[in-house]
Amino acid sequence: MAATAAVTVSAPRPHPITKIHCPSHPEAVLVEDYRAGDMICPECGLVVGDRMIDVGSEWRTFSNDHVGKDPSRVGDAQNPLLNGGDLSTVIGKGTGAASFDEFGNSKYQNRRAMTSQDRAMLTAFREINTMADRINLPRNIVDRTNNLFKQVYEQRCLKGRSNDAIASACLYIACRQEGVPRTFKEICAVSRISKKEIGRCFKLILKALETSVDLITTGDFMSRFCSNLGLPKAVQIAATHIARCAVDLDLVPGRSPISVAAAAIYMASQASADKRTQKEIGDIAGVADVTIRQSYRLLYFKAAELFPPDFKFDTPVDKLPQL
Amino acid sequence: MEAESEPLPLDILITNVVCVFRVRCHLDLRHIALKGANVMYKRDEGKVVMKLRRPRVTATIWSSGKIISTGATSEDEAKIGARKCARCLQKLGFQVRFGAFRVVNVLAVCSMPFEIRLPDFTKQQRPLASYEPELHPAVNFKIKPLTASMQIFSTGSITITASNVARAAQAVEHVYPLVFASRKGT
Repeated sequence: MAATAAVTVSAPRPHPITKIHCPSHPEAVLVEDYRAGDMICPECGLVVGDRMIDVGSEWRTFSNDHVGKDPSRVGDAQNPLLNGGDLSTVIGKGTGAASFDEFGNSKYQNRRAMTSQDRAMLTAFREINTMADRINLPRNIVDRTNNLFKQVYEQRCLKGRSNDAIASACLYIACRQEGVPRTFKEICAVSRISKKEIGRCFKLILKALETSVDLITTGDFMSRFCSNLGLPKAVQIAATHIARCAVDLDLVPGRSPISVAAAAIYMASQASADKRTQKEIGDIAGVADVTIRQSYRLLYFKAAELFPPDFKFDTPVDKLPQL
Repeated sequence: MEAESEPLPLDILITNVVCVFRVRCHLDLRHIALKGANVMYKRDEGKVVMKLRRPRVTATIWSSGKIISTGATSEDEAKIGARKCARCLQKLGFQVRFGAFRVVNVLAVCSMPFEIRLPDFTKQQRPLASYEPELHPAVNFKIKPLTASMQIFSTGSITITASNVARAAQAVEHVYPLVFASRKGT
């Protein structure tokens, strides 16, 4: 008990981790003796703090253990940001023979009455998860989508709209905000909502949350489209260059960046050894055949200037297909 | 304006003027549908659509006596069309009193002599302008105090929607320098 007198409040340099220190060796890092619950100074052996409570776990739990054996008295990790921190408790499932009636059903039916709001949100999160899973979106985008959905849902401005539509629009916004935009058609492909409805919800959500998103550029989609088409890196770089120059020179005013990107990929692939047809590119990009043709015509004029200087031409510029 | 030496005459063509007015009496739509000329009776929606020829306007008539008239190309024409419609109803035998005439919406089209770079324009006019090339090829630009909204295309055409003609003109004047700054060429 003599050590307690050594606990000084007016220590010149307070310990970063513990507030107590050895009086004769204030700089010494205390060693914890877990068996006795003491903190001991390694220099002089003085027991500085006693009855230290060990905050480690009492037992170890493995994931392949049977659920009934786990003596943990706490449930799953909560997601307080998204569910509002429900701290209610429920009666557990019965284990003895008396808790089952003659047919083998449990006598006490645990009816979890979740609020309809929570249920709707959980359904939406599940839906978002499924959608994101279909196009292999990383966890950070899914989390951002969930947060957006929660914000929108709590605001209740878009209450009349279908939750699925709002979820799809949130997914679109999250992808945009993370800097990896997906086209509306790509989101449509994994959702049951029409492009028009997603577009409408998108605009409404931006207004409700008072945010705005950056404009899409042609470069955002190059790597995805090119790898889906199986084009080599050189072609991808060339296509990116073509599209960027085309936009800088403003050869394609009023054309959607997706169409310009598709046309650029077409031009780059036709100039290289890996040629792709307009139909193939249109399938991947979600752009119509004729749209690629239109944008390609605008690019064809200045084809020679658009290619990067170090590009290896398999088909020279004057032999490029003229549509 | 700093951007130009002398004021450039810009033609603002009014394509549509929408107005509402009342005839201050109940109307029997069935009677109008049977006896009236140039009318269509939409019974499911409870309205009669009357199309006039001379000011080319379409009037939607409800049984409460409220009428919406669309298709006029100027505010005066809208008023003439409205009065003509009221006169037709008077001739059909109703005790019509023309009242509460109000121009609700005006659609106008304007063409800039230059092309416009939409991404530049959007970046400068961030919260007010919204551009989604995937959804619509034009920039949606809202002018809050004037309650006017416009669609700006890259060819330089602008479609303005405002509550009356004067506001539409003001909206064009307001947006001209902004659009001039993001123009293409020179």
